Amino acid sequence: MIALFLAATLVPAQGYRVRLDTRIQGVSWRGLDTGTIPRAEAIEQPGGGFLTPDGHAALCGETVCTFFAVGPVLRGVPWVTQADISVWGTGVHGLSLRANARWATDLGNKATWPGTEPELQLVEGYLEYARSGLTARAGRQFLTGRLGAYGLDGARAAVRDAKRGVELTGYLGWGLARGSVLPVTDPALNPLNDFQPRDRQIVAGLEAAITSGRLDARVEYRREVDPSVDYFVSERASASMALRPFRRLTMAAGGEYDLAFGAVGSADATVAWMGRGYTLSGGVRRYRPFFDLWTIWGAFSPVPYHAMHTAASVTPLASLTMRARGEWYKFEDAEVFTPGVSVEDRGWRFESGVTWTPTAQWVLDGSYQAEFGPGASSRGFTGRLTWLPNAQFTMTAHGARLQRPLELRFNDAELTSLGLEAEYRPHARWRVGVEAIRYEETRDRPDATAIDWGQFRLAGRISLLFGTNADRVRLPPAVRTAGNR
Amino acid sequence: MRYRRIRLMGLTFPLILAGFGAWASNPRPMAPVFDHAKHTPLFPGSCTTCHVGAAEPGAPFWPSAASCASCHDGVVKPRIEWSPPGAAAPSNLRFTHDRHRVATADSVRCAQCHSPADSTRSVVRRLVRQCIGCHQPGGDHLSVANEQCATCHLPLTEARGLSRGDVAGFPVPASHRTPGFGLEGHAKLAPVRGPDGRTTVAASCATCHAQNFCINCHVNAPEILPIRALGQDERSLVHGFTFAAPRSHSAANFLAVHGREAQRDAATCATCHTQPSCATCHVGSTLPKPVTAMHQPGPGRAPGAQLERHKPLSHVASFREGHGREASAAPRACATCHMQADCFSCHRPDLAQPAGGGNYHPAGFLVRHPSAAYARQTTCSDCHNAQQFCVSCHAQSGLSARRSLGASSFHDGRAAFILGHGQAARQSLESCVSCHVERDCTACHSSVGRGFRFNPHGPGFDANRLRRRNPEMCIACHGLAIPGAP
Repeated sequence: MIALFLAATLVPAQGYRVRLDTRIQGVSWRGLDTGTIPRAEAIEQPGGGFLTPDGHAALCGETVCTFFAVGPVLRGVPWVTQADISVWGTGVHGLSLRANARWATDLGNKATWPGTEPELQLVEGYLEYARSGLTARAGRQFLTGRLGAYGLDGARAAVRDAKRGVELTGYLGWGLARGSVLPVTDPALNPLNDFQPRDRQIVAGLEAAITSGRLDARVEYRREVDPSVDYFVSERASASMALRPFRRLTMAAGGEYDLAFGAVGSADATVAWMGRGYTLSGGVRRYRPFFDLWTIWGAFSPVPYHAMHTAASVTPLASLTMRARGEWYKFEDAEVFTPGVSVEDRGWRFESGVTWTPTAQWVLDGSYQAEFGPGASSRGFTGRLTWLPNAQFTMTAHGARLQRPLELRFNDAELTSLGLEAEYRPHARWRVGVEAIRYEETRDRPDATAIDWGQFRLAGRISLLFGTNADRVRLPPAVRTAGNR
Repeated sequence: MRYRRIRLMGLTFPLILAGFGAWASNPRPMAPVFDHAKHTPLFPGSCTTCHVGAAEPGAPFWPSAASCASCHDGVVKPRIEWSPPGAAAPSNLRFTHDRHRVATADSVRCAQCHSPADSTRSVVRRLVRQCIGCHQPGGDHLSVANEQCATCHLPLTEARGLSRGDVAGFPVPASHRTPGFGLEGHAKLAPVRGPDGRTTVAASCATCHAQNFCINCHVNAPEILPIRALGQDERSLVHGFTFAAPRSHSAANFLAVHGREAQRDAATCATCHTQPSCATCHVGSTLPKPVTAMHQPGPGRAPGAQLERHKPLSHVASFREGHGREASAAPRACATCHMQADCFSCHRPDLAQPAGGGNYHPAGFLVRHPSAAYARQTTCSDCHNAQQFCVSCHAQSGLSARRSLGASSFHDGRAAFILGHGQAARQSLESCVSCHVERDCTACHSSVGRGFRFNPHGPGFDANRLRRRNPEMCIACHGLAIPGAP
């Protein structure tokens, strides 16, 4: 990390920008722990079922009963320091260097916090050469698009004809695991000692895009191959489009096709109207999970759901914005029937809220959200009150209350959270923040496993920015008087 | 009676005060005002008999005090104390009597300017109306043609004698109050053709303004010929002005169309905007061409319009959940304002960032995440690796299968869940995978070893296609005896 920082500041370059963030958080909570007792010790209940002598619901076989009890206190103290570095102006016009690395550790009683192994992780690190018609990158980089945010160690080049609005992109390299900056072979991605690939996948892809004032469209093909056996890990294609036929109207649509499974993946289409003081949008959506071919999950035939959604936002006064949105969805037929067992196959989500800014110093936001669907439901309120007395200081108090019943487990939880955040910016390039939040939970279960998940979290962070001129601080005022000239 | 006394005092007191004020403000004896009409018989000649300087360059303009004393000697006439006025008060007038006389070839008589029409000796000094009467008949002083200003006035930079207060007191022409004058209005009036045919600045501007004033707003001041034609003068900063953005900038769609406008006429944008002011928003990519053509702030230029980033209309509260639709189609549009590092704040989140701390998920989301995750409100795996994030956290909290599904009592909300879990699994397989590993499932669904050969394949399953792509997936459950394999 230090070496990266020194490299950025010492390399002869016209410009550099280094941002250092460090955060630490303290959390303690209790989870569950499984236990077993001989069936002879279990207490049979009049209505059926068994309890352990200390009141935990147990599932009994012929000789042994298993149960979930309250687990030990776990304490996580994740401490993460992240460096984001850009260097440009090295003498070659258009050449720049970019790196983003994090060092993370858990100072708690054991490594409980997810993602802190390995301690040093390179999020991004590449050399870029950019001219008006060409952008080329080499190193660890990320692709963002309809197929998700995907990382690779390799090369990517995009050529474009700005006049015709055409762009072609190709990339090749070793892929990273989905949702991670680690390769799939990393032990940190196998916490339960499951099957794990022996080699990293090789990824290759092509993109073509057209861009104009009213239309943007893009298609992409990507394949991942396991080099050890030369089999596919995935093969997908996607298309996306955004159309602006009128000034205030935007239509966006897209979808992906899983060539390996021969199935349409997730897709959606949305229409949005942005009026004066209001916005309206609505659309349809399909969600189907995607699994790599080196897992067996795809063979279990996950079924997609289809959804309709709408959202509205109204600003009747400059200081007031009201919003609401909702979605209804239904799963496709899973073609499974078990007598006596039924599971929800449809659900909905709804949220409405209001943001009121009575003065430049105060912002009040409140919302109500409700969700009902297979597996779990929830409903609750959240509120935030932000105070900005000056440009240097911000303080926010927030609270929430929600109920969360589960469908597949007896566990109706009620949660109240209260939190306080403060951020101080003594200088345009320095930020210091602290945050505290208290979760107070009660769980409604008829046995002793109704654990209290209540916890207190404390967090602190410092952000420092170094650089030549890329921090984008506020410009000096355009209107100057004779006095300060 | 008492009221009369008060009224009397009320009248006399102000008179006393006024008298005292007059004495205090002029402690010296007042110089007698010369009555030209009364002295007419004494001066039958022209005005220049006494005011020689009006006709002859270098000659004294005023008669000597001794010439008065020839009559006002205390014998013939009472003695008076008079002395010629000192140097003329500072002004920005170009006018001198001798020059005016030469220029007009003596065709303008003194009385034409210095006397009302019905009098030949009633002297009026510096009545602008008199100048305008000849130079712009029927016109108003402040609305004369541009070039006429220079006839009588010096440019501000040459009127060195004027104080900042004098300059601040300049009258404001009516044109300056017309709508749009601060923008395109003055830009039309300022450039004029000079005698040599080159563009220069209108005399009307130069009379009151200098470069310093223009540089308040003009980033492109060094490139504007009329501004370059003006001199430097700090006094011009005393003129107040209000800077207002062009009307087009407040249009609802300005954000969307400003790029097109900038490509069409970048020079106009460059009047007020510097490269850094555009880069306030254009942070994520190579700067657009019109922006690269703009100037950097520096000496002789305005610092540039101060901008604040505003979210586009589309960025309403729910935008972030669905931003992928537009972002995947038009990533370069996002790159106008965002760097890819911005994406990492959610897509590769800081591990120590507290929930609700202004990040993607609201406070308390951890508790309600099951409902969002079961039916994937968004694609969780875009940001969270299922193994690294979901499985490891669930495992730490005791929420992971122990490879003994038959003995599990976790899903106690449904009687005999294990027998009827198929629908829940096909609907929310990603949720299952957040606690279960493949071995949990192959224990029953595999056709090799001790598996119960329960067929997990459901709607849309294309065995041949999958086998061609990756037969290892089939081998996991079927061994080498893959059904249908050649």
